[in-house]
Amino acid sequence: MTAARSGSGAAIADLLTAELAREIAESEVSVFAVTTPASVAAALAARAVALPELVIAGGFTALDAEPIPAVSLGEAGLFTHGLPVRDWPYDTFCLLARGRVGVATAPAQLDSTGATNLSGIGPLGRPKVALPGPQGLPDNNCSPSRVWYLYGVHSPRQLVERVDMVCGAPPPSGATRRLLTPAGCFELASPGWRALWLTPGGAELVAQAPGFGIRCSGDEPIRTEPDGRFLDAVRAADPDEVRTIEFAAADEAGRRWALAAERESHRDPVGR
Amino acid sequence: MGAGALSIDQVVQSVPDGATVALGGIRLQRRPMALVRALAEAERRDLTVVAFLGSLDVELLLAAGCVRELHAPGVGLDPAGLAPCYRRAREEGSIRFVEWSEGLLLTSLEAAARGVPSHPAWMGVGSDLPAVNPWLAPGTDPFDGTPVMNVRALAIDVALLHVPAADGDGNLYVEGDLGADGLFARAARRTLVGFERSCPGDPARAAISRLWVDGLIEAPQGARPCGCHPTYRADLNVARRWAAGATTIEILTP
Repeated sequence: MTAARSGSGAAIADLLTAELAREIAESEVSVFAVTTPASVAAALAARAVALPELVIAGGFTALDAEPIPAVSLGEAGLFTHGLPVRDWPYDTFCLLARGRVGVATAPAQLDSTGATNLSGIGPLGRPKVALPGPQGLPDNNCSPSRVWYLYGVHSPRQLVERVDMVCGAPPPSGATRRLLTPAGCFELASPGWRALWLTPGGAELVAQAPGFGIRCSGDEPIRTEPDGRFLDAVRAADPDEVRTIEFAAADEAGRRWALAAERESHRDPVGR
Repeated sequence: MGAGALSIDQVVQSVPDGATVALGGIRLQRRPMALVRALAEAERRDLTVVAFLGSLDVELLLAAGCVRELHAPGVGLDPAGLAPCYRRAREEGSIRFVEWSEGLLLTSLEAAARGVPSHPAWMGVGSDLPAVNPWLAPGTDPFDGTPVMNVRALAIDVALLHVPAADGDGNLYVEGDLGADGLFARAARRTLVGFERSCPGDPARAAISRLWVDGLIEAPQGARPCGCHPTYRADLNVARRWAAGATTIEILTP
C-alpha cells in the first residue's frame, strides 16, 4: 500500500468496509445513517452479523430503509419500497442531537483537532478550489453521536494540521470520532489522534502526514486481514463491489463507475 | 382545493427576475428540471436560488446566467463528480454564495414556516459558517447559557417541486427521501409542483398536504435527466458528461 490510491483498491476496500462493519456492530448505536455505497455495505453487514435490530437510515426522512449499495444510491438512494415518507424532515437531526446515531463520512479535509472541511481550499468565502459545500459536517461534528471517517487513502492532502475552513467544529468532549484509512484505525483523544491498530506499513503512511499528528506508541496491533464474518457479509451485501469505487485509483474508479452505471441502467428504478 | 392546474408558461410568469426560488428534490432525485429548463429558456435573471443539496438544476441555472445568489449546503453530481458551473462561480466570485449546513438550512426554513424571525439551533456551533452566512449569529441560550446558533428565517417567493404522484385535490405522494420539500412547501409564499401521474386520493399517506400546494403542473418525465423514484432513475451518463464539461441545456433536455 502507498499513500496514493493504487490499482483496484479492492483489498483495502474489503478491509476498511469490513472493519467499519465490525465497528458499527461493536458500538452502541441503534441507528446508522448511510452516506456512500461502502457505508451502506458496512451497515448491512453489521446488521447481518451482529445487530439484527440495527435501523439503517439515510437522507433526512427515510428511517428504517432497505438500501441497496448501488452507485446511484448512497445517501439519497433510500429505496423504501412503498414506505410512505413522513412529513417531518428532521429525523436525522433529532437522532444526531440525542446521540443515537452513527454516521460515516469522508470530508475533503480532517484536522488534528477533529475539525472538518468540505467547502473549499483557500481563503474563507473565496476558495481557490471550490468543493461541494459544508453539507452535514457542521451538524455531525456538533453532535454527541458517533462519527467514523473513512478514507481510501492516507494522505497529507486530506489529513491536515488545520482545515482551511471549519465546516465541522472539533467535536464536544466525550464524543467518539474514529478514522479508518489504509494506515489503520485511529481515535480522536484529546489532544489529537492516537492509533488503535495499524496495517502492515501503516506506520510509514502515518509518517507521511506529520501535520495531522497521529500518536503511535509502537505497540499497536498490526491488522492484515478483515474479520472473515464481516467480510463475507460485506460481499453478500454488495456482490457487485460498488464499494471499491471509493477506494480505487482515479482511472480505475472511473472505469468501475462506468460499469456500475451501465449495469444499473438495465435495472428497474428500485434496483432489482 | 388549494391547487389549480397550471401550464409551464404560467409557472415561468410566476417567477419574475429577482425572485427567490427554492428548488426541491435532493441530489440527483426529483429535481424540477422541466420547470428549471423553462426558466433558463425564458432567460430569467438575478434569481436567488435556494437548494437543499443541489445538482443539475442549480447547474443549469448557473450555466444560463440566471443566478445572482445561491443558498445551499452543497451542490454536486455525486456519484458523477463535482459540479463544474457551481465550482467556477464560487472560484470566480461571479455569484454570491451563502453557505449553509443541511441542519441549519432546515432550521431557517422552519423559522420561515412558523412565522418567526429566527430560530435557535445546536448545529454549526464553533464553525466558520457565520463568517460566510449573515443569516447565522452565534449566541447563547437565554435560559441556561448553552452555546447556540441563531438562524434567521429565509424568505422564499416560490418553491418549485417535482413529485411522482399527486391526487385530484393536490396532495403529493413521494417515496424515498423527501429532503427539504416539506419545509420548502410550508416556508414559500407559493408552492408550484410538477407531477408525473395522477393517483387516487389517500391523504393519510401523502408526503405533503394540499394545504401547502398552490399549483400543479402535469409534467411526465419532468425530473429527467435526474431521477424520480420509483418511476425512473437518474441518467448517470448525462450527469457524467455534464461533470466533464458538456454544460449545455441541450444535453439536459430529454
